[in-house]
Amino acid sequence: MTAVDDTLRTEAHADGPVLEAAGVTMRFGGLTAVNNVAMTVRQGEILGLIGPNGAGKTTFFNCLTGLYKPTEGRVRLLGNDLPPKPRAVVMAGMARTFQNIRLFGNMTALENVMVGRYCRTSSMALTSILRGPKFRREERETRARAQELLDFVGLGKSSEHLARNMPYGDQRRLEIARALATDPKLLLLDEPTAGMNPRETQQASDLIFRIRDSGLAVVVIEHDMRFIFNLCDRVLCLVNGEVLVEGTPNEVQSDPRVIEAYIGSAADDEEGDE
Amino acid sequence: MSTSTDIDTGYADEADQVSIWDRIGRPVAPFAWPLVLGGAVILAAGCFLSWSYTSDVLGNLSIDFYPGAIQNLMIIAAILAVLFALMYRGPLSRLGEWLASATALRTLGLGSTVFMALVIALIGLQSGGLINVMPGAWVSLVGAVLLLVGAAGLTPRASRDPLHAHLPAWLDILTIVVLLATVLFGAAYVLDIEDGTVFSLVVLFTGLVAYTLTRAGFFTWVGIVAQTHRRVLMLGAVAVAFLFPFTQDGSDANMSIATQVLIFASTALGLNIVVGLAGLLDLGYIAFLGAGAYIGAMFSHSAFATIGWKPNFLVVVVIGALVSATLGLIIGSPTLRVSGDYLAIVTLAFGEIFRLAMGNLDGQDGPKLTNGPNGIPAIPDLEIGGFSFGETHEVLGITLGRFANYYFLLLLLAAFIITVFTRLNDSRIGRGWIAIREDEKAAEAMGVNTFGLKLFAFAGGAFLAGMAGTIKAHHDVSVTPDQYIFLESAFLLAAVVLGGMGTVAGVLIGATILKLMPEKLRFVADYRLLIFGLLLVLMMRFRPEGIVASKRRQLEFHEEDEELADRVEEVHLVEEQEAKA
Repeated sequence: MTAVDDTLRTEAHADGPVLEAAGVTMRFGGLTAVNNVAMTVRQGEILGLIGPNGAGKTTFFNCLTGLYKPTEGRVRLLGNDLPPKPRAVVMAGMARTFQNIRLFGNMTALENVMVGRYCRTSSMALTSILRGPKFRREERETRARAQELLDFVGLGKSSEHLARNMPYGDQRRLEIARALATDPKLLLLDEPTAGMNPRETQQASDLIFRIRDSGLAVVVIEHDMRFIFNLCDRVLCLVNGEVLVEGTPNEVQSDPRVIEAYIGSAADDEEGDE
Repeated sequence: MSTSTDIDTGYADEADQVSIWDRIGRPVAPFAWPLVLGGAVILAAGCFLSWSYTSDVLGNLSIDFYPGAIQNLMIIAAILAVLFALMYRGPLSRLGEWLASATALRTLGLGSTVFMALVIALIGLQSGGLINVMPGAWVSLVGAVLLLVGAAGLTPRASRDPLHAHLPAWLDILTIVVLLATVLFGAAYVLDIEDGTVFSLVVLFTGLVAYTLTRAGFFTWVGIVAQTHRRVLMLGAVAVAFLFPFTQDGSDANMSIATQVLIFASTALGLNIVVGLAGLLDLGYIAFLGAGAYIGAMFSHSAFATIGWKPNFLVVVVIGALVSATLGLIIGSPTLRVSGDYLAIVTLAFGEIFRLAMGNLDGQDGPKLTNGPNGIPAIPDLEIGGFSFGETHEVLGITLGRFANYYFLLLLLAAFIITVFTRLNDSRIGRGWIAIREDEKAAEAMGVNTFGLKLFAFAGGAFLAGMAGTIKAHHDVSVTPDQYIFLESAFLLAAVVLGGMGTVAGVLIGATILKLMPEKLRFVADYRLLIFGLLLVLMMRFRPEGIVASKRRQLEFHEEDEELADRVEEVHLVEEQEAKA
């Protein structure tokens, strides 16, 4: 896919893992939300992160993306240590979406994606005020790239619509487009199908496959087991902030400990009896 | 289509008033239209008769067939009423499809009646009794009441959305020209009014007409036209601003007010970058203007200037701007990491520290830079390239005095600040600022350099204020600490909030209102804190986005209003189409 061409530059790194997190621990006072979690994401793979509510999945995501500074542990992206600053993480090539959609509601879809291009463009004050050829070229390229990404996620026709006016499913896809605009090597999706109907879920699935096919690695947090087991190459199950099981969808699906974790800790969880 | 029209003409919030209008209007409904026309004619006719027995009330309203200022206003109202009536039914009915004529007539009828009642009460008060009110005034009041009752009898119809009115370009441009010409002559006219009461009445009337046209949906259309012909509007506005001194015929009194308005407006525009674009609350902004002014004074040829080096004025402007920007960086870098309220308090304190520091750098408590509370007086007029700002010049037979000279210089400065403002707003940096205002965490997680952008807004705003300050020093002749008190910061902020955060036009209007009113009206000057305070409270309650709303800001202030969001989107889509065409 041309939309994510730039990411192919990572081919130089083809052999090493995209992301290596080791011993990541996050304590809030006396509460250990994430305890000694290790995770490796390889090139072009889709990794699923599952676990009952409160297992620490989103906290772990926040540790990876610099929103939290992990109490212990290290995170390496493409062989480089990641500083715990959201902006530095994005610059290094890891982008995310949010569990509760956090779009810029009063901006149009196109503008939202253009904000994602911020860290890959460089026009500063003087350039912006003088409006030289460099500024115009960069604005044009930013706009074109944003439109390209909107087309890629299937929102090409809604580019001038306000984000807050868009249907829920479109907002989720817009968030993905905005994250892709930062030219990531690794995309973290926090519950990308929450609140979606089966058709939208299927579309989300297709979209994630297409993103993977364009050369990115993807990590997905999800509660929808059917979705996760269809989508992922590997699945990691977190329980009480620790890695319970790691393996192929089949291994994880049939692991008695996973079933117990779901039924035992959240008996009313409808997914638990799968 | 019909839903959007509803929003546009404000029927939604009128729903509970409908019954009152209906109750008045139902009995007269069959002959409502002739009643409106008749009322308008009677209203106008009354204006040609004498209104007052004595000639010293509200200008001079005592001469038959020689309408005074107030009477002219009511004639304008009557003409507007006739136009709207002919749109409702008659030769202008095609225009009436687009404008909500009945709604406009109701507003105009109510406004004219209140206005006439007010005028009669004022004549009675000022000349010692209603006995001195002449029949003409009563005739006009009757006309206004007939207009009101007649308008109540008309049925408001859903008009077509002016958004989809595609008129030939020359008509669009003609509208812009007419509006700008109205602004130019209106400003010249208003500034010439000596009588405070007449001035207030003119301001009131201007508000009434503006509100009527808004209700008719006229300004929705003007907004689209302004957007599609941005260049024409800009050139026109520059031309109007440039021509203004030529309407004053050498009178320094009005030009002095105009220059003060321009200094205030330029500073407010700089503050608007900080407040309106970056969304930071700065309560000490006047300190940056003060820093520029002190630099301008210290490097001037004044005998009291404390620095021996006398560089070219343009160099002084740059130094003043840089010093201000440096202060902005110093105060901003430790504080911009904390959220809004803390920043407000820190900036407030900074403003006070600046004032106190300037009052103490007198050679006893610190280096001798500012002469302490005495300040730096006797700053000579500017001289740039042999052009002396202190002398009067003759251009095309029209005398341009000292203030007119400064006016042109300040106009250049304002144009510069407006260019910086609009270009930054429409750039990568501007998008970053919006993202920060919307959701700072998300912006940071998307790779936006939130701290850097906020610091830049802060220092950039300070830079522009510093530039304005260096000119202000020469304009004011002296610089003292007590010119840069907290209240001035508050007024600057009030101008931004009142006019409309994030817009140029709004801040220009806000600054003009806040600066012009106290100059023209003694009672406003005495009670200006009370009046502006009330004004701000009312604005916050009824229109938090300001007089001229930036669409984005309007959306931010009304997160729950989905109709508004749909409307803004619709307008945006039409504008995109127009821009492409």
